[in-house]
Amino acid sequence: MNILPAISVTSDALSAEKTRLDVIGQNIANANTTRGPDGLPYQRKMVTFETQLQAVAGADEISTRTGVRVASIQTDRTPGATLFNPGHPHADENGLVHMPNVNLQTEMVDLITASRSYEANLSVVRTARQMAQRAMAIGR
Amino acid sequence: MIDQLLGHQNYQLAKHLLDAASLRHEALATNLANLETPGFKRLDISPDFAAQLEKLAASGPTPGPLNLNPTVVQDLDARAVRPDGNSVELDRELIEMSRNTLEYEFLTQFASDSLKRLKTAITGRVQ
Repeated sequence: MNILPAISVTSDALSAEKTRLDVIGQNIANANTTRGPDGLPYQRKMVTFETQLQAVAGADEISTRTGVRVASIQTDRTPGATLFNPGHPHADENGLVHMPNVNLQTEMVDLITASRSYEANLSVVRTARQMAQRAMAIGR
Repeated sequence: MIDQLLGHQNYQLAKHLLDAASLRHEALATNLANLETPGFKRLDISPDFAAQLEKLAASGPTPGPLNLNPTVVQDLDARAVRPDGNSVELDRELIEMSRNTLEYEFLTQFASDSLKRLKTAITGRVQ
């Protein structure tokens, strides 16, 4: 058993939220990328979570803990806006520029949600450490 | 002889409740880890553990080992807070976690004091 209870569940959650923050950061950075390496405008990426059963050392019938992990990073295929801008170097023959499908408001809301979730898991780690320290101080 | 000194029922009960509090922390940590997972139902200590405790309290001092068995189950009373069926509420989990930590601290304090009382009796000096 772990000296810090449920630490593997919490650390997996922290990694998953970190990955989500990275993907959001990438989306925001490429909000105006009209041509990527494949010649197409940037399509935003989305992260999906799923639960995974933790293998607990010395597992008995009680301790199946469901941690979380990133199931996949998928591309959002909805087309972005098109702007009429004939002077743009990436304009097509009609003068339309295809923009990425990144909506900054959506990305900011996702960013706030992800960092709130990250902070909640950090407070779980602090609490676990506090409990372990109290346990080690029994009898002193 | 030491078994009789440490066999006092409240001390035994404190040990079992510490296990239950540690298990509850694991359940709450799992809930917070799955705050964003679609379809996840929150976990908690099963309600019949509270019933076992009440029965124990009502029956008065009993000799022998206590038969308490906390288990982690899905909380069937929790309602879904998101359209995908996820039933974890951030504020509720954090409040339950701080309450659980307080109970854990109380129980470790109680266990500590029980042992110190024994030491005081043995050495004759206040520990």
